[in-house]
Amino acid sequence: MYWGPPPGCGGSNTMPALDIPFFGTLVLSLTLISASYTMAVAIGAGTGRPHLLPSARWGTYATVALVVVAVCVLAYAFQVHDFRIRYVARYSDRSMPWWYLIASLWGGQDGSLLWWAFLLSGYTFFVTRWLRGRYTELQPWVLATLMSILIFFIVLMLFAANPFATYIRTTPGDGEGLNPLLQNYWMAIHPPSLYMGFVGWAVPFAILIAALITGRLGNEWVRAARLWSMIAWTFLSLGLLLGCLWSYEELGWGGYWAWDPVENASFLPWLVGTAYLHSVLIQERRHMMKVWNVFLLALTFFLTIFGTFLTRSGLIASVHSFARSDIGQYFVWYMAFLIIAIAALMIWRLPKLKADNEIESLVSREFAFLLNNWVLLGMMVFVLIATTFPLLSEWVRGEEVTVGPGFYNKWMVPLGIVLLFLAGLGPLIAWRKATGSKLARAMAFPIGVGVSVAALQFLFGARFGYPPIVEPTEIYDTTTGTVLAWMAAVAPLVSFATCAFVLASVGQEFWRGMRVRMRKGESAGTAIFRLVSKGRRRYGGYIVHIGIVLMFIGFTGAAYDVEQEKALRPGETMAIGDHTVRYDQPRMEADPNKRMIFTDMTLLDASGAENGQVAPAKFIYRTHPQMPTTEVAIRSRLSEDVYVIMSTVDPSTRRGTFRVIIRPLVAWIWFGGIVLLFGAILGMWPTTREFVREEATRVRPRRFRFSPAGAIVALAIIVASMMAWVGVASAQDDTSSSLHAGTVVINNPIERQLFGRLLCQCGDCARLPLDTCACGWADDKRVEVRELLASGVEPSQIQDSYRAQYGAKALAIPSDKGLDRALWAVPVASMVLAIGLVVMMGRRWQRQGVRAHAEASVTTNAELAYDSRLDEELERLEDG
Amino acid sequence: MGDLLPSIFVIIAVAAMLGGLASLWLSLTLTLSDEATVGARARLTSDARLALLTEKEALLQEIRDIAFEHDAGKLSDVDYEEINAKLRGQARHVLHELDAGAEGFRDEAEALIAKKLEEAR
Repeated sequence: MYWGPPPGCGGSNTMPALDIPFFGTLVLSLTLISASYTMAVAIGAGTGRPHLLPSARWGTYATVALVVVAVCVLAYAFQVHDFRIRYVARYSDRSMPWWYLIASLWGGQDGSLLWWAFLLSGYTFFVTRWLRGRYTELQPWVLATLMSILIFFIVLMLFAANPFATYIRTTPGDGEGLNPLLQNYWMAIHPPSLYMGFVGWAVPFAILIAALITGRLGNEWVRAARLWSMIAWTFLSLGLLLGCLWSYEELGWGGYWAWDPVENASFLPWLVGTAYLHSVLIQERRHMMKVWNVFLLALTFFLTIFGTFLTRSGLIASVHSFARSDIGQYFVWYMAFLIIAIAALMIWRLPKLKADNEIESLVSREFAFLLNNWVLLGMMVFVLIATTFPLLSEWVRGEEVTVGPGFYNKWMVPLGIVLLFLAGLGPLIAWRKATGSKLARAMAFPIGVGVSVAALQFLFGARFGYPPIVEPTEIYDTTTGTVLAWMAAVAPLVSFATCAFVLASVGQEFWRGMRVRMRKGESAGTAIFRLVSKGRRRYGGYIVHIGIVLMFIGFTGAAYDVEQEKALRPGETMAIGDHTVRYDQPRMEADPNKRMIFTDMTLLDASGAENGQVAPAKFIYRTHPQMPTTEVAIRSRLSEDVYVIMSTVDPSTRRGTFRVIIRPLVAWIWFGGIVLLFGAILGMWPTTREFVREEATRVRPRRFRFSPAGAIVALAIIVASMMAWVGVASAQDDTSSSLHAGTVVINNPIERQLFGRLLCQCGDCARLPLDTCACGWADDKRVEVRELLASGVEPSQIQDSYRAQYGAKALAIPSDKGLDRALWAVPVASMVLAIGLVVMMGRRWQRQGVRAHAEASVTTNAELAYDSRLDEELERLEDG
Repeated sequence: MGDLLPSIFVIIAVAAMLGGLASLWLSLTLTLSDEATVGARARLTSDARLALLTEKEALLQEIRDIAFEHDAGKLSDVDYEEINAKLRGQARHVLHELDAGAEGFRDEAEALIAKKLEEAR
């Protein structure tokens, strides 16, 4: 079957052909018409014409099908190398295997927009199926909202970034090929899962909009949105985790998180989404915080659009943002529309969003959740301001600045530890009001464990390579810098102790739950099984917390990284930590797509015995010879990773330069991620009872019991399993790209601190600070700075002179002076203000006490009969 | 696999296009006719019932949860009694509503049975 391009247009077949670019654009236009029609019909159904609802549903299916057609047409064009299409020519070439041709679908801007629309269509299909026979009042508005989002993306494609656009003049004989960085398995799984997370928030958002429009703002919409927000959160978490893996194993930055603007763009909705998932529990349980939950969910969706805008518009320089384009203005208009529409709806519905209850005590789970929200939102404000600060600085004062990872790490670590502590504290506190004695009893064991771990680390940590306090590194030469440096220095001690506290707290929760069940005569095994299976949401959440703790253990390990770079000849060794690495020989391989230069290396233990092999490499792609990729080699163990990068190798002398990093505890991050995903899936998995009830409400009996919710949860499991498999399978071989090739020598802590603040200005690696960049320019600059230090010049003077010479953007972190100070002062001030407000409101509520509220009651005399029915139902719930 | 993929994409695209056009046709037909009105109204009634069932389910879960928290020592006796009484009151109300809703269905069902029996005679 062939629909390929006509002869001479880049195709390889001479059969008569369909005009694919025209057909693709036609399908997109049809999709726009269908989506607009469906939205109109859905609005009709929502405004007093319920008979239009089936029309809207069928219209939705039609729109979804047309998006599938558009994706298939583009995928087909890639497979048959139809280089008449500009997007196909820019992101593929004839030598690429079929799986990269599929991945190219989302490798560039235009295609990724179509992919966004495709995933949204997938969600829309499932949610439309799921809504069949339920939430009829909300349903039309849910469909209309989803269609409106789809319309935005189709308009964007048709008018600004058409993936089917053709070249005006000549068609190239071959394509430019996919960026070598993207030619790996991560490309096949990371962007789709991240998009699934981004796009997924559209569904709970649509349910929220439907609730606002219809005024049904009780717990109905919260329940309707629960599963979908969990799915979106799970995929977003998975996407972030895969992004960390990709960074760690693929991009060769030497780390799993570089606070790149695009990484931050996906982290922002995760932070707010996490806040929402906690806050909404208060609404479900206590019927309060309604406005806040509406705000959080709307903000989460808004941030997914904002994140897409950041990624697509190219406004902020990023290692993996797409080229600067004019689609930014479309996003700006859409975001403005969203803000106005959401604000208007919220103001309109404010009377219906009044809380039924108030917080009765500052020592209650509600208040702990409020604090959790405060920290999460505070982190969001920090990341948002830091990410956009370069842009704001350029607009406000015309000066370009850079905000490097050092800034984020210094501020986010303490906030992260506070958040972690709250994850352990929350489950220990009762709803409404915790009495002092009960709270003290509940906290005794977890605090005891935390303090014990801290004491053990203090006494024996250094002996095992985990000293409690690490060397402080200052990002500023001010009091703020000193305070931050010392907070970072004690962070490992506090972090490990907090991890132990949370694990003990969660473990105690399981133990207490088990004991309650065992008192009813159940065995320990049955008790734990039934405890989890009957309270999946609660215990799934606790397992997510365990996953977070394990990840924090991994993050804390970064404080103990050891790094060394050295030039070696075959047979020579370098010692680092407890390891010795021997360089054996270089080796060349080739495939149709690229040449590969491997350097075989052997790891030796303390006794000199061989302890594993690694083979870091350089790949030189046929289509991008100027962009050799650096393939990192990692030997991963639970205690530490040995991370080896080959910087250069000279083919004539076979001499190579290698950078070896010992990274303790990194594997815990991936393990924790898998536990987190397991907990999330467990928490959202529908119970048998829910399945049965779902089916019992169907109008027609069906042979095949298809549950859309179950299907999408199953999809989450499949992707999570893929990630676990890939994570394990790829522990040994990975890829990365860095154009630099040289040696980094750092002689003392002052040099490390100063080099960490100065960014390389060679032009190719502007984002890398001098303490990691190994290019020749950076090497020369290090020598120069070293000489200045030796002659007695103060580090702050060197920094000022570097800034004067290359501009503010040459510093990894803006100074702690003048307007630059706003970078941390604004988020800190807003957090202080927010905590002040939270405590003040809490005190006011506490004084007011419980407000009397109308309570539904039955006026008949059948209370006892109803009570007995309730008891029967409760028994069935327990057994079901 | 690489050779097969173009054909697979064409088949999926053709099937999706046919499905899409058929769905669009069905949607247009339903929009322009009144046939769906009765069904839509019936679904609205069943939706209200479903909402009550969901509400009942949530309340039962909540009653079970607070009992569990009380048993685990996290909720004082006084608080437990107060919250439990409130939740049970709400649950009784929902059961009452469900029963009231079912009355209408019962009358309708009885009328339908009577009609069928009449026809059978």
